[in-house]
Amino acid sequence: MHGFRQSLELTITGLRSLPARFGASLVTVISVITVMGVLVTMLALGQGLERLAHTGARPDRVMVIAAGAQSSLASSVSRSTLDKVLDKPGIRHDAQGKPLVTGVVLMVIDGVTKMNRHGSIGFFAAGPQWRQIWPNVQVVEGRYFQPGLHELLVSQRIRSRFKGMDPGDTVKARGTAWKIVGVYKDTGGFFDNSLVADADTVIAAFPQTTYSSVSVMLQSPSDLKTFKDAVTSDPTLSANVQTDDEVNEGVIKGLRDVLDFISYFIASLMGIGAACGALSSLYAAVDSRTREIATLRAIGFGSGAVVTSVLAEGMILAIPAALLGAGIAWLLFNGNVVVAGGLSFHMTVTPHLVVISLCWAIAIAAIGGLLPAIRAARLPVATALRAS
Amino acid sequence: MKFFPLVWAGIWRKRSRSILIFAQVVIAFTLFGSLQGLNSAIKQAVDSTHADRLYVGSRLRFGTPLPISIMARLQATPGVVGATYRFQFGGSYQKPTQNVPIVGTDVGSYLSIYPELQSEPAQVQALKRTQDGAIVGIETMRKYGWRVGQRITLQSPLPHKDGSRDWTFQILGSYRDAEQPEQSRLILTNYRYINEAQAGQPDTIAFAVVRIADPTRAEQVEQAIDRQFANSPNETLTQSEQELAQSQVENLGDLDVVVHRITAATFFVLLFATGALMMQSIRERTPELAVLKTFGFPDPLVMVLILSETLILCVAGAALGLWAASRILPLARNFIGLGSLPLTVVAAGLGVAVTLALAGGAIPAWRGLRLRVVDALANR
Repeated sequence: MHGFRQSLELTITGLRSLPARFGASLVTVISVITVMGVLVTMLALGQGLERLAHTGARPDRVMVIAAGAQSSLASSVSRSTLDKVLDKPGIRHDAQGKPLVTGVVLMVIDGVTKMNRHGSIGFFAAGPQWRQIWPNVQVVEGRYFQPGLHELLVSQRIRSRFKGMDPGDTVKARGTAWKIVGVYKDTGGFFDNSLVADADTVIAAFPQTTYSSVSVMLQSPSDLKTFKDAVTSDPTLSANVQTDDEVNEGVIKGLRDVLDFISYFIASLMGIGAACGALSSLYAAVDSRTREIATLRAIGFGSGAVVTSVLAEGMILAIPAALLGAGIAWLLFNGNVVVAGGLSFHMTVTPHLVVISLCWAIAIAAIGGLLPAIRAARLPVATALRAS
Repeated sequence: MKFFPLVWAGIWRKRSRSILIFAQVVIAFTLFGSLQGLNSAIKQAVDSTHADRLYVGSRLRFGTPLPISIMARLQATPGVVGATYRFQFGGSYQKPTQNVPIVGTDVGSYLSIYPELQSEPAQVQALKRTQDGAIVGIETMRKYGWRVGQRITLQSPLPHKDGSRDWTFQILGSYRDAEQPEQSRLILTNYRYINEAQAGQPDTIAFAVVRIADPTRAEQVEQAIDRQFANSPNETLTQSEQELAQSQVENLGDLDVVVHRITAATFFVLLFATGALMMQSIRERTPELAVLKTFGFPDPLVMVLILSETLILCVAGAALGLWAASRILPLARNFIGLGSLPLTVVAAGLGVAVTLALAGGAIPAWRGLRLRVVDALANR
């Protein structure tokens, strides 16, 4: 208890002398604010992507894709796969007793944005059961497409980002015109970046002869294992089963890796830079207080208390700075729509990111404070007292 | 030069502070070098493309399958002097993470359209005779320790007609990309082998590449090709190599802009912090400047001495940082596909370093020198 009181006293005296070292401390604070602002901003990109992948994902919806396919986009399964999946256990049936299973064609097509740049649009096509499998896709303007006709639904976001995507417009693909008949509501997930059409109509119109994957609604999430085992153990299938979450992770993985690499690379470099800044400002603090610290040591303050007080000063500067940096990132960027790797998503600052930035700030302050603290504690009292 | 020991002593006067300033400069320029370098490298890649090659892809999206029957019409298009095509899919070797791109093509025409891919003619002849033969890029050969003559098996999401996902190739030779050796990664194999075996859409290609006689007439040839396929189920979009590279860069989207702005902000904050630190350390030495003046050093000489100190710190730090960046950049190749530090970035970096040194040194030195010697000596 005694040591704690000493540390507290020393920290308070240290902070009182802060205005005298205003410049150096301000530089430290500004660099910590910037580092944390940047770290949180970069991580908010990854977080937004993550949210895009998991919004609307259901534990009871699974996808059968070709074994070995890296993602649902790179997968291709034949019509016979669909037939073989139909009688597997664990599948939910609708009121008419039909299994909730559909073949899915997934493509990415190019479009021209309203800012005259090229952009990617998902092209999703599924069979007649699709509205029961993706009940969150709700048409809010116009109507649903009719199977057999070249008709499309468009998401609100694609409609607002791209040219020629209003109801009544036609999208030309493969020499045929596809008419937009309805607009569906954004839900924050992958469907926001997509057009929707009927799978068999698409297969008939395009030279494509296979589905990309087969989507299945299970009776309950606990049927996953039964269904998965039945599919993977079927020697005629050579297919793999992934949940919504796994499928979506596969789609964003490449971009996610790039984002993480850039985020942590930039943040590490800047973090070291900020630690150097903290180091020099705390060295300056110790230097300017040489005589004071020696006096305190002479009247009985322990060296442990000196170390703690220097470290505490670093933390007291760094922690609010980190919160401020995260706050600025939140103010400037939270909710901004970014387009990267053909996907558009909202940057998202979460409490989790603020915690990460706090940990970084504490680490920076600890690294920056330790050496000056040790110097302060090891000052030879007699010589230090004579210092000018 | 005789004043060098004085400058050197000045730098080491406060050892820890000088080391910290140096470290901050190194870090700032590592950041600057790697991100700016990446940017310029991307631009360079877009600029250094071959103007005589055009890429014919599906209008729906580049890479969407087109029938191989379009090749005859492409070759007959006026202005086209050679054509080849690619069918491509991914394979993984032993582990799902070890991906190797597999390209089914007519290897003879492929190598003549891409003259920078160097290989031995005898090996190419052997490949033409061997159905399941392959010529593999040296980078991939080296990475997995493959040798010519070896048979390798890769797993692929694209199945055989019998449902098997194992693809076996006999390595008959290797090639090296003379322009970007580190990009020699493909497995080049016979189109007919892949096409007969694969269970996907038969007789299709991902895209075609044509060589044109006159690069200045590229646009006319592009239009002539696309016109032939207009309103057919296989509408094409023909692009120059540069346009294609550009669209791949555009695919990164806003990422480029966000990273760019952030780097700029960071770089300037780091510079500001370093500059502030330098100013402070020179300001503390005002009495020493006065001592020099007392000894009869003229003002300009004192100024030069101080600036030499800051210049040595900043330029050496910047050089080390840029060197570090040039080591780090190749790591990014896994994600972006290129990377070497262009000289323009080095020059720009050193320019900024000199400016930083002048600003950080000159302002406090000038202030110190303006004082009366007596006041300065007393540090008033």
